[in-house]
This record gives sequence, C-alpha cells and structure tokens, in this order.
Amino acid sequence: MTRFVESTITFPYKRSLGPVVGMFMTALTEQRILGIRNGTDVIVPPMEWDPATGAELAHDFVEVGPAGTVESWTWVPKPSAQHPLTHPFAFAFIRLDGATTPLLHAVDAGSASALSVGTRVAPRWKGTRIGHITDIDAFVLGETPEVAGPDHGPSETPVSMMEYQASITYNNPVPVAADRVVEASKAQRLLGQVCPVCARVYAGGRGYCPIDAVELGTEHEVDLPDKGTITNYALVTPVQYPGQTETEPFARVFVLLDGTDVILSYQPVIELAASDVHVGVRVAAVWASPAEDIDEGAAMGGAYGALIGWMPTGEPDHTDPDLVNRIF
Amino acid sequence: MSSIPCAIVGVGQTHHKSRRLDVSFGGLVREAVFRALDDAQMTFADIDAVVLGKAPDLFEGVMKPELYLSDALGAIGKPMFRVHTAGSVGGTTAIVAASHVQAGKHRTVLAVAFEKQSEGNAQFALGSGKGASLGAGGAFAPFIRSYIHRSGAPEHIGWKVAVKDRLNALKNPYAHLQIADISIEKVKASPMMWEPIRFLESCPSSDGACAMVLTDEAGGLAAAAAGRPPAWVLGASSRSEPPSFPGRDPVRPQAALMCAADVYKQAGITNPRQQIDMAELYVPFSWHEAIWLEAFGIAEEGDGWKMIDDGTTELGGGFPVNCSGGVLSTNPIGASGLLRFAEAANQVRGAAGEHQVEGANVALAMAYGANSQYFSTWAVGSSLTPYA
Repeated sequence: MTRFVESTITFPYKRSLGPVVGMFMTALTEQRILGIRNGTDVIVPPMEWDPATGAELAHDFVEVGPAGTVESWTWVPKPSAQHPLTHPFAFAFIRLDGATTPLLHAVDAGSASALSVGTRVAPRWKGTRIGHITDIDAFVLGETPEVAGPDHGPSETPVSMMEYQASITYNNPVPVAADRVVEASKAQRLLGQVCPVCARVYAGGRGYCPIDAVELGTEHEVDLPDKGTITNYALVTPVQYPGQTETEPFARVFVLLDGTDVILSYQPVIELAASDVHVGVRVAAVWASPAEDIDEGAAMGGAYGALIGWMPTGEPDHTDPDLVNRIF
Repeated sequence: MSSIPCAIVGVGQTHHKSRRLDVSFGGLVREAVFRALDDAQMTFADIDAVVLGKAPDLFEGVMKPELYLSDALGAIGKPMFRVHTAGSVGGTTAIVAASHVQAGKHRTVLAVAFEKQSEGNAQFALGSGKGASLGAGGAFAPFIRSYIHRSGAPEHIGWKVAVKDRLNALKNPYAHLQIADISIEKVKASPMMWEPIRFLESCPSSDGACAMVLTDEAGGLAAAAAGRPPAWVLGASSRSEPPSFPGRDPVRPQAALMCAADVYKQAGITNPRQQIDMAELYVPFSWHEAIWLEAFGIAEEGDGWKMIDDGTTELGGGFPVNCSGGVLSTNPIGASGLLRFAEAANQVRGAAGEHQVEGANVALAMAYGANSQYFSTWAVGSSLTPYA
C-alpha cells in the first residue's frame, strides 16, 4: 500500500490589473459594471484586446446592466470552501443588459427549480467593496440590485491591484524506497541502495539509479556509516517570504559518508553555528528521540525521518584538497 | 541532417523593472510582442504558431498561463505551445520555435517568454512553497566555491564581472539595473548573501518579457532585401541531466559539454574563441561567467577567469560577454534565456544599439536552469556562411 503525505502550499499573490481590468474593478466598488466596446460588441468584463484577433481595443467603456438574463447555468448542490456561497447555488452565464457577451457569476436562486434559461437576475452587492469580482456577492432573482448589509461606499482611490490568496493541498505518494529509509531512520540506521549496474550507492531512498535507469529494491539495500565529513555547504540569509520557517542565517551542508562515495546533500547542522561551517568538519548523524514527532515525508536531499541533522564529532578536520568538489 | 534555414527577423522586449504594476500579465507580454512584430514589419496575421516559455507557475500562481494568454498573444485558432525547462526556458523557447521552422511545420513562429516576479516571491517558488528555501544563490554557491578552489581564481574575478555587466547595462535602455556609480568598491561593500556571493554579484528579480519572430529562408531573404538584416540560426541544442548522482560535477555538467559540442558541430565551429564574435551567457551570479566560458569551450578548463581578469570579455575586448548587461542586470526568469538569445540575434543583425560589438558576425547564446541540469544554446550568424 502506497503511503500518502498531505502538504498544503499557500501564497498571497499580488496581481497588477492593468488599465482595463483596473477600471472594471474600480467601477465595481461604485456598484457599476463596465464593458468595453469592440466594434458592435460590448465585452463584459472588459478586455484589453479583441479575444478573436488579439488587436488592441480603445478604452471605450460602456456601463451595462445592472440586471441581465441567464443564458446557461449549472447547479452546485454541495459548495466547497473555495466557492462564493456556503449554501447551494448556481454558476451562470449572465448576459447583462447592454452587453453582447455573458458574465460568469454565482446566482443565489434558492433552488435549481427557480432557474431556467431566460431568468432575469440582478446583482446583490457586498456592503464593503474592495475592487474584486466578489464585490458582487451573487446575483439574485429579479430586476432590482441589492446591497447586503450597510453600504460602505466606493473605493477612495482607483483599484490597480488584486490580492490572490492561492492555496492547494497535495497528497504526495511516498515511494516504497523512501518509506524504507524513513523506517530505518527510526532505528538510527542510514539505509542506502547499490545500483547493480554501476555500483553507485544512493542514500535517502531514491529507489532508482538515474544513470542506468534501474529500479532499486530491498535486495539492493546496504547500511551506511553515520559519520562523515562536510565537503561543501550553502549559507543562506533567509528572505522573509510567506511560509518561511527560518529567521536567522542557516547552513545546509554536503556530507561525504566515511569509507563511501555517498554524499548526503543539503543537510542541516546542529551545534555548529552557520558562521563556523567549513570544508572538512567531521560530523555524525543526529537522530530524533523516539518520543519526538518526525517528518514522515521523504524528499530527495535534506534531512528525512528521524535523521534531523549532523553535529561535529570534535575530531580534527579532514584536509583532502579535493573534498570541496564532492557535491553530489 | 538537412533542415530549412531559420531566420530571426523581429526582436522585442519590455523595459524591465522590479515591479511593472502599470500592466497586466497580458499587457506585459504584448508590449514585447508588438515590438517584435513591428521590428519584423508583421502583424498577428503573419504568425502561424506561438511558443510561450516561463519558469514554474508557482512564480505568479497562474496555472497554465499559456491558456490564459492565448488570446493576448493572437493565438486563437493557431497552434500554441508551452515550454518549461526552469531557468533555461527562454532559450529552449527560441529553440522550439526555430525547430518548427527548420522542420517545415510552420513558416513563421512567434516565441514569447516572460516573468512577473513581483506577483509572487522567487525564493518561495524555488523552494517548492516550503520554508528554508535555499534560493538560487544558495543552490549555486557550493558550485562556485568548488570552481574557485579548483581554478585558483582570485576573489576579485566575481567583482569584475559584477561591474562589467552593470556598465554594459548602462548602454541598454531596456535593462533593469541602471547603477551609474557601480564600482569594485561598491560590489565589495555589498552584503554577503550566499558566501562567497555578494548582493551585487547577484541577479535582480524583474518583471519583463521578450519576444522574437522566427521565419523560413524566404522570409529571412525578404527581410534582408528590404534592408532589415536577419540573424540566421547556425546551430541550436538543448541537453539535460539528472539533478544529482554520485560523481556529478555541477561546475562542468555533462549536459553543458554535450550541448556546446552539438551546437558547434551543427554550426561548423571548430575554434569557438576565434570563430565566435561575442556571447550572451546565462550569468545570474558573477562567477558563472568563468564557469560557462570553460564549460562551453571558449576558454580551456581552469582559464575562464583569466579572460575576465585581462578584460577580454568587456565590451571592446577580444571576446565580449553579456554586452546587454546580462542576467546580472535583468532577470525576469522565464524571459532571461530568451533575452540572451535575442541579444545574440540583434548583435549579428547589427541592431544592438549602444552595446553593439562592431562587426559581429557570429554570436553565441546560452541559458541554463534548475540544479545546473538544463542547457539551451544557439549560435546565430549574419549569414548562413559567416566564416566564408
């Protein structure tokens, strides 16, 4: 059975809207919906270019709606967290009065039976509008626009930017070979795999030899020494991006395991200040105690499982001048 | 293997900045596209296929931007392709576009590459959305440490490249960084970011786009007859290798050596140092100029830094490198490779403005990506037989 590890990536992206969509968003804060003229067409939301030919469009804006006609729709019986409404609703193509293209938006229709092609709808505006398509909370049945709650009025400045909080959750399969090294790490064992063709040894549970395109299984496993030498390193001054876990300069080191050609890459160091990291430092693996939570995921490079990093053994430095070239 | 000759007849780029908050995604790429089309005296109607390149979607958080931008790029009803080979993608985009022409599949192809780094964060994106991202500098610093050790190059080599490329950028109105008072002292005094890489030895984060119009022999000859000299593709190649395996050398990656050998064979180049007039090498951190001079056979192994030390790679030197200001001055990641390929084309077209290398007939452009594992290179000439 393949094991899966869940991970979520989120980031607050910042979009610059450009002159045309910026105009549209600014108008939304004023409870107005703008289209743009393209020959005899009025495109809503407005675009900078003719979608058919790519030709630049003049900034000839037209106010449309606010009411419009449902041209097509689909019912959403079980909204997800990312949907605009928490109760069942419709996504609909709505041709606003004066427009020649439909706008995609939510219709809060109560039930699917209330909707048909040709149904008339009007916007229900949010009271607090920031210049976002969700300033229209949803469309409602009928001809009359509404405002949900107290109206806090339009934006005082033109809207030119949009925040976009992206979030995605993955379920990553953990390869069997990676699972094996994580399990071995709990017993304070460093497990490697030997390629039967080229005899290269891979640590970290890769499960294949990228040189010979050979799958590596349990029959190729070998125990590796848990002492080695730092051959090279990266010292990083962390940029404080959203999701950053580091605040102080940190080191990642490459460790050549004793008596082997195996390099463990991008390893954290423990009880060794970033400023003291250098080529030749003798180090030993540091294992999490059985009571500690460990990272059950496994990534190529870096610490994994109960292997949490490397600390100096106190032995004299290794002085082989070729060490620094041993990166992979 | 014979193929249809491919000519570059139009080149365009945006003015690159930290934040192009004045434009949308579409507006940004179209700025470059219309400059390329104007340069080629063409419109969207003349384009048969579009190839779009950019770095990972995590940079801007727009999945499949090639779909989102298809109408902005005039690609409705036409073949539209997305290329992604990490930092080398801009170069690969040009090569994919050229391949369509060379194969006779499409006559005229628009190549476009962009990045709008201000919408997200490069360290976040390069760290796969997790904490403790090494960033590109952290990833490459060990390789640079190894190069310095094995070549015995003095530390001022990195500073010299940082100054040279910023001086070149002052001659390029499109370049992002315009540091009028750049100096060795200023580079030395800048903060250490990823030892041994200092802040001013590093590339910026830029918003920008680049576009190029590639066409067949008849199209190239027509442009030439109309007084608009094209650049001709003499050789183009992409090579890759796994990110890590015991014995891998990221200072002289096998993929780089193979990519160079393939391009030189196609182009009939037997002595790169003599037969090539200038090169645009992908140098996001100053030391990569020396590293790639060697891996691409322009200098002997261990000697790349000497071409920097004696001024050979300066504009006006015997083998100018990164006359545009390079990645060190302008880095909209997805477009950075295409900007190298575009500058090489403009140099042999005699269209490089103030940073023109006089009499450049053959130019080399290369880009690399990920863990120094993707390589894209082309050689372009002022004619198909520039050495005759």
